[in-house]
Amino acid sequence: MIEVKNLVRTFNSGDRTIKPVNDVSFELGQGTLASIVGKSGSGKSTLLSLLGALDKPTSGDVVVNGVSLASMPDAKLTEYRRRDIGFVFQQFNLIPNLSAVDNVMLPMEFAGIRKAARLQRAKELLVQVQLDPDKHARRINRLSGGEQQRVAIARALANEPKLILADEPTGNLDEQTGDHIIELLSSLSRDHNTTILVVTHDRALANKTDRRFRLQQGNLTEEPVHRPVVSASA
Amino acid sequence: MSVLARSVGNAFRNKVRTAAVVAVLAVAIGLALAMLVANQAVAAKVQELNASVGTVLTVNPAGGQGFEGGGEPLTAEQAATAAAVPNVSAVVGTQSLRLRNASEAAAQAASGTGAGPGGWQGGPGGQAAASLTTSLTAAIDAGTLGGRNQAVNGTTGTATQPDRSLPVTATGIGAEVDTTGKVLTITDGTGLGDYTAESSSALLGTTLAEKNSLTVGSTFTITDQTYTVAGLFDAGTTFGNNAVYVTLPTAQTLAGLPGELASMIVTVDSLENVASTKTALETALGTDKADVTQGQNLETALSSLGSVKNISLIAFIAALGTAGLIILLIMVMLVRERRREIGVLKAIGAPNRTIGLQFVLEALVLAALGSAVGAAIASFASGGIASALISTNSTSTTAAPTTGRGAAMAGAAWGPGLPGGGTFPRGEAGPFGGAAQLLTSVTASASPGVIAAGIGSVFGVAIIGALVPALLTARIRPIEVLRGE
Repeated sequence: MIEVKNLVRTFNSGDRTIKPVNDVSFELGQGTLASIVGKSGSGKSTLLSLLGALDKPTSGDVVVNGVSLASMPDAKLTEYRRRDIGFVFQQFNLIPNLSAVDNVMLPMEFAGIRKAARLQRAKELLVQVQLDPDKHARRINRLSGGEQQRVAIARALANEPKLILADEPTGNLDEQTGDHIIELLSSLSRDHNTTILVVTHDRALANKTDRRFRLQQGNLTEEPVHRPVVSASA
Repeated sequence: MSVLARSVGNAFRNKVRTAAVVAVLAVAIGLALAMLVANQAVAAKVQELNASVGTVLTVNPAGGQGFEGGGEPLTAEQAATAAAVPNVSAVVGTQSLRLRNASEAAAQAASGTGAGPGGWQGGPGGQAAASLTTSLTAAIDAGTLGGRNQAVNGTTGTATQPDRSLPVTATGIGAEVDTTGKVLTITDGTGLGDYTAESSSALLGTTLAEKNSLTVGSTFTITDQTYTVAGLFDAGTTFGNNAVYVTLPTAQTLAGLPGELASMIVTVDSLENVASTKTALETALGTDKADVTQGQNLETALSSLGSVKNISLIAFIAALGTAGLIILLIMVMLVRERRREIGVLKAIGAPNRTIGLQFVLEALVLAALGSAVGAAIASFASGGIASALISTNSTSTTAAPTTGRGAAMAGAAWGPGLPGGGTFPRGEAGPFGGAAQLLTSVTASASPGVIAAGIGSVFGVAIIGALVPALLTARIRPIEVLRGE
């Protein structure tokens, strides 16, 4: 269960104060697949950073399973990101000189999983995101954008996080692979009770989520979803 | 992939840059190791010198030394007094003789040049009878220096002077030691046995024996008495090997000066007690009766070696610091360059210590590569660098004194007043050889132990140099570098 309470994030730019997230409150039950839509610069990525403990709010709080992130020390926040969060960044943010499988193994290494186990799981995840096995050992900078996107998704799933935060996860994928990724995320939320929050411009993807939010000038509003709910929210 | 494997991989990300960094590091580390090797070699030499001759004092008659000066001769009673001084472990008396080849002496006397250097009449403390004839021929030619000294001291108005050969130094010794107190190196035959009794045996320097075609068991004469060669010794210098050793009583009898000593070699029980024992000896013997001297050329040598040691230590620290600074700057640059990557690692849950460790290990990989190349450089360069340092310092130290004792200490000419011309390093007449000679025998070799210690220091500095940038990574907040999203 994630509770977002009166979340505010402001930035100072010269004399101006920008509020990409302005008094945002909502709740997401465990296993919910939700989406946030909005124009570029509307604060979607900032909100995602706050939920993922990458950034600290100016005011308000994010409470995950009853634990407030606002009062957590940095070391605990790192542990929270390692154990409970899976990030899919818009620009992938993979380590360029490592192979696809090494990139997927990284979060598991930080979590202390033994090498043999993490290697096996990394390969399984790469198969799951439909990356050609011949490319598992290939360096990231020798993969296409779509392939890198799939590696990034596999990395986000590595530690079986409770919450996956994905910024445009299908943005660089062809329609068929995009559909597969959407199906994968849906099955994760449905079968593994993983909460998934997706920032997207993709209307098709947004309509396949359980709940849909729109962020406009820092204000979040929930919109009706134009398709039946796939799985029951917690 | 482990942190170590990732660090090794990162170290080779940019091969050209890595090669450049390793090359610069190798020069700094190589210099550091070479300086450490020089430092250790000098330290070992200092220890060796201290252990060998550092505890020896020499007592000469006040106002006299060797065949120079005046004053009253030393006596056996004074030797007993010296032996009773606290911390004195041994006293060895010596008596010096100057041997002239009988044929040449007769020829010079006939030509009327006997009043010059060859006809020297003085001796230690005025020992006029110490110049004797022998069947031996000196192994050293007078040469230019001998001729020069002859011109200064030996001409008394005669238009032409016959060529003159150098005399042979004979020394009566109370133990099997040379005039510096060092144990004689017998290369053939035996010693003289009982050095406190008269004997017809003698020890000859190797070159003197060769010059006169003598071997162990051969005979020669001093005045009219026949002596048998009991052994041959190697003093390590040409001058030192143009000498004869007989027992002290034999020399005293030959000189006609029973009970008199030209000098005393006093051995002190430890280096720490040398200074206090010197003072005690001066008090016990009286400064108006005896001059007590320490191995001043040894002090000169030790002073030079000390300078080299200090310079090499400072250079080692400076080169090590430079290596550390290079690593620090490189790692700071790498941290700045990889801020985004560090942010990503933090975003996916990497603890600060893991990221810091990754950078420290990467620095150690660079240091290891630099050390490998640096060690190779040091193994080739350390000998040359050490020699250059020692050469420079011994030159600057020994070049300054040009007269009196200072010149003699450095092995410079001790010409005026000496018979037969040629150089007469005080070290031969006094207690020690030349400082320059002591210095040049320093051997700097890159031993595995010293190289290992040096590389250990490099790794220590590399860790310190890498810690600062590693700690910087802890201050990077993931959102700051990911905000570009």
